[in-house]
Amino acid sequence: MQELVTEVTCLMFVWVNMSESVAKKRSGSSGLSAISRETIENLTELDDLERVYQQLCDEEKQVESELESLVSQQGNIETKMLALQRMGPNLQLIEGDASQLSGMITFTCSLAENVSSKVRQLDLAKNRLYQAIQRADDILDLKFCTDGVQTALWNEDYEQAAAHVHRYLSLDQSVIELSRQGGESSAVDASLALLQEAEQRLKTLVKERLDQAITAGDLAQVERFFKIFPLLGLHDEGLARFAQYLCTQLASKAEENLLLALGGDLGERRAGLMFADTLTLLLEGIARIIETHQPIVETYYGPGRLYTLIRHLQVECDRQAEKIVDKFIQQRDYHNKFQIVQNSMIRSMSTEKIEPRELDPVLLEVTVMNSRAELYLRFLRRRISADFEVGDATAPKSTMQEHQQGLEKLLKHCLLSRNMQELIGYYIPMEEYYMRETVNKAVAMDTYEKGQLTSSMVDDSFYIVKKCISRALSSSSIDCLCAMINHATSVLETDFREVLYNKLRQGFPATTLQDIQRGVSSAVSLMHSSLQQGKFNTLGIESAEDAKASFLVTLNNVEVCSENIITLKKNLENDCAKLFSQGFGSGEQAQAKIDSCLSDLVSTSSKFKDLLQEGLTELNSTAIKPQVKPWISNFLSVSHNIEEEEFNEYEANDPWVQQFIVNLEQLMAEFKAGLSPVIYDTLTGLMTSLISLELEKTVFKCTFSRLGGLQFDKELRSLVAYLTTVTTWTIRDKFARLTQMGTILNLERVTEILDYWGPNSGPLTWRLTPAEVRQVLALRIDFRSEDIKRLRL
Amino acid sequence: MSMEDYDHLFKIVLIGNAGVGKTCLVRRFTQGLFPPGQGATIGVDFMIKTVEIRGQKVKLQIWDTAGQERFRSITQSYYRSANALILTYDITCEDSFRCLPEWLREIEQYANNKVITVLVGNKIDLADKREVSRQRAEEFAEAQNMHYLETSAKEADNVEKLFLDLACELIQEAKQNVLVNNDVSVMPGEGRSISYLNCCSFR
Repeated sequence: MQELVTEVTCLMFVWVNMSESVAKKRSGSSGLSAISRETIENLTELDDLERVYQQLCDEEKQVESELESLVSQQGNIETKMLALQRMGPNLQLIEGDASQLSGMITFTCSLAENVSSKVRQLDLAKNRLYQAIQRADDILDLKFCTDGVQTALWNEDYEQAAAHVHRYLSLDQSVIELSRQGGESSAVDASLALLQEAEQRLKTLVKERLDQAITAGDLAQVERFFKIFPLLGLHDEGLARFAQYLCTQLASKAEENLLLALGGDLGERRAGLMFADTLTLLLEGIARIIETHQPIVETYYGPGRLYTLIRHLQVECDRQAEKIVDKFIQQRDYHNKFQIVQNSMIRSMSTEKIEPRELDPVLLEVTVMNSRAELYLRFLRRRISADFEVGDATAPKSTMQEHQQGLEKLLKHCLLSRNMQELIGYYIPMEEYYMRETVNKAVAMDTYEKGQLTSSMVDDSFYIVKKCISRALSSSSIDCLCAMINHATSVLETDFREVLYNKLRQGFPATTLQDIQRGVSSAVSLMHSSLQQGKFNTLGIESAEDAKASFLVTLNNVEVCSENIITLKKNLENDCAKLFSQGFGSGEQAQAKIDSCLSDLVSTSSKFKDLLQEGLTELNSTAIKPQVKPWISNFLSVSHNIEEEEFNEYEANDPWVQQFIVNLEQLMAEFKAGLSPVIYDTLTGLMTSLISLELEKTVFKCTFSRLGGLQFDKELRSLVAYLTTVTTWTIRDKFARLTQMGTILNLERVTEILDYWGPNSGPLTWRLTPAEVRQVLALRIDFRSEDIKRLRL
Repeated sequence: MSMEDYDHLFKIVLIGNAGVGKTCLVRRFTQGLFPPGQGATIGVDFMIKTVEIRGQKVKLQIWDTAGQERFRSITQSYYRSANALILTYDITCEDSFRCLPEWLREIEQYANNKVITVLVGNKIDLADKREVSRQRAEEFAEAQNMHYLETSAKEADNVEKLFLDLACELIQEAKQNVLVNNDVSVMPGEGRSISYLNCCSFR
């Protein structure tokens, strides 16, 4: 129908257009002709007339052609009109159809509305029906429960009675209210009253019976009534009473254990750990109780209730643990020991001192106690978290956080934790005292056996430090471990390093004649420093030999210390990794704390390395330099301004270098035997640097002939060859300048240098400046200074 | 620690009575939080924040210690390696102020003598409950040769300033140390470049 309408409109439009254009044309040809009648009448000339005539003829032709085209369109228009006329009846038909359709739709719509309202009514009716059925069921249940409770109570079948009450409690309270308002109120009211009364009676009865069972210590009965509580909606009360029962059991057992321990019937072997053992028994007992009763709680009370039970148990645990800790403090004289230690650490001149060895057992016992407590608390954390997780699976985040906070508070701030924190608080200063005193003792009793590189104090001290840190680690307390690592760092860095530093300061005694004076002054300074320390250290001045050995041993000690610290750190890292893998310490924070403390510890290693370097420099300048310098000066007394004859004689009887090498060999033999290979190597490195420096200075003071240059080159080669054999350092680099000087002194002519200089240097890198090259060239007596000046370098 | 991506590393230890707000100051500075209802700190807590001061990356290791007496011996073991100590008290608690001399004795006994100590009066948001006047605290700090600053961890007042000024001072100290004795015992926070820059200062 739409199509039809558009076609009609289209046709009408065409028709209107056409008639308009025809009308326009017509008016144009009559009124607006190019030449008016008056103009024609006024024409007089033939030419003009002809022209006008022609014009009129053109116009006529034009009009004719227009008319023709209009006429030709007529047929087209007529067919269109015909089509339009044919369409007329169709349009009428469509209009009829449309109105019929609209009527139909309106009808359908109202019909649908009618139907849906009926459905709604039906739905409502159905719901009410269900409710009615539910209510009827509930009322029936209520009746059934009422009867059931009565008989069950009569039969003392409390489980059954509780089940009925539970059923009643789980009924919809509003439905019951509704029933009471309804017609059947009196009957329901009676049932309700009965039920409520039964509920109250059951509650008091069950409580009474549970209390009786608890007093009687009858586990079967306790468990029986414990299971009934959640049915009556008394979860918390049930747990509290049950926990009370468990606590009494716990308390009697714990007191028995403590009495037994104090009775001293235990074997001697465990006597030192009797409080730790008693605490262990207590905590293990609680853990066993939790393990045994967790299934009952889970089954009858649902998940998430373990926390409540443990919170009650923890109160008793705290009470019993405190008793043990109090007894421990009293019997082991813990506070008094701490006080003595504290006093002697603050004032070193304290009259009362405690033998570190006496602290050993008590320190061990404390760490065992703490590690047991940590183990127990970790057990609680695991159990409670797992139980909460099941219960909180669908709970909102805030509940979960609340539970988590409750757990943290229970574990971190319970009295057991506080007691342990206090014990550890006293333990740390005592352990520190133990470490400091024992290390001092190891230093005081230092012995050194001939043939050994290090003395006893290094091994002894590190053994002690390691022992103390390990003991702290065995407490499983991260903070305690960190504190002891800090103290160990402090002992090593200040106390222990100070000792080694002072020994090195005493210096290496010189022995050669020309250095007697230096030896005396060093001995004086040594005595001086000994006196300052308040004790007269005989070590080191009995004989120069001993003093020398002592110095070298100290150097070795310093090196071993720096190595030991690195090893200690690595071992501790492994031990901590083990601890963490067992789940101790709360994650990243603990790890970061330990890492930081360990990195402080390991940084002391480099301080020992610095000390070693200082000691070696000292050794080099007091023992090596004064000897080597005169040997090199001897070079001056051997003329290098020589002719063939002398050159040959030198060939036969070496004037300098062989003796120099022999002297060096003798000098270094002592150090080679007394120092560790690494230190010895560093020392020879220092020595070769010294030789190259001194020899260079000496050479600049000499004069050379052509053959003298050759002689120097030979000597230098022997020296470098020898030094290469005694050290693993690269000698060539250190002797590069001297070797280049040798090359220059060996030249035939001054200009020959240009074969090796600048673009001709090839792989050779000159270490000498142009000025120095000229200076060396000038050492040759046969080179003319003008030639040297003329050189372009 | 092979690739160290900082120019300075400093250890700062917070000390002071329990409940004066040490943990809150650290949390405010390192995490921008003020967690209400904090439990007492157990042992020591450890936080790191890297800040940039005049183009230099400064890593601050902040040790937040427990104020309770029974943790004292753990806390004391951290004094020696500290570059700076922040001694905190609560301006609404006279007691926490009266304990300061005791804390100073501890510092004297355990800390190294180069340590920088700052006195901080926290909780200035509770102005109407103030028990220790600003003047009194300032006089005390001056007598003990300490800087003094009042903060509120809750309102984030002066917290940033406290730590940043301290970092500035530590940088300067480190640089002077390097200048004065180039080879003697290198401190943990050793500076690299040597130049005098006038840093920000307290007050």
